[in-house]
Amino acid sequence: MQILRVVRDLVTTKRNFWLSAKALRVVEDHRGNLEVALDPLGAKPGDFVVTIGLSAARTAAGNPNITTDLTIGGIIDHWDEERWRN
Amino acid sequence: MKICQVEGTLVATARIGSLQNRRLLVVKERGSNGKQVAVDPVGCKPGDWVIAVGSSAARDAAGSKDYPSDLTIVGIIDYWDDASGQAGANAGANPAPKTSSKAGVKTDANPSRRT
Repeated sequence: MQILRVVRDLVTTKRNFWLSAKALRVVEDHRGNLEVALDPLGAKPGDFVVTIGLSAARTAAGNPNITTDLTIGGIIDHWDEERWRN
Repeated sequence: MKICQVEGTLVATARIGSLQNRRLLVVKERGSNGKQVAVDPVGCKPGDWVIAVGSSAARDAAGSKDYPSDLTIVGIIDYWDDASGQAGANAGANPAPKTSSKAGVKTDANPSRRT
């Protein structure tokens, strides 16, 4: 699992059937690389989150048929940017 | 399996239900400076050297096939001298290493360490 920061929402109206109507967020890692994660929780931009990857991302989404390889698993209570960058 | 050192616990109150109330730890993989988060069913302290499994084995190691983990700690290394670990990796450069890096590696599956 990784520690990433939510950048913004992502809207895709035309999408794969198995992504259904789940919310998507653009997240960044400590180097600034952007990725897209499924968000079952409702994280806000600026939140530090724990993301689950690999096949566990599908179980984390609540239904193993959902096609995702990155899902937000939790919103971190206390985390600071300096600790994240180093 | 990866060799990691535990940095500390991670508090995430808002979490998906299937993560339950398991302890999450921030760990640093040996030889890299990126932080990762692992599920801890064993009970580790900050500073412990641990072994962690990834991919679908991480889900089984966390207790059930449906548990959403991609990195789970499976054992605490009894003795790990990080300098000797590096010497083991460069065995060709060092003709007579005093300790083998693998000699001290033991998993700790003792449930009494659970917290």
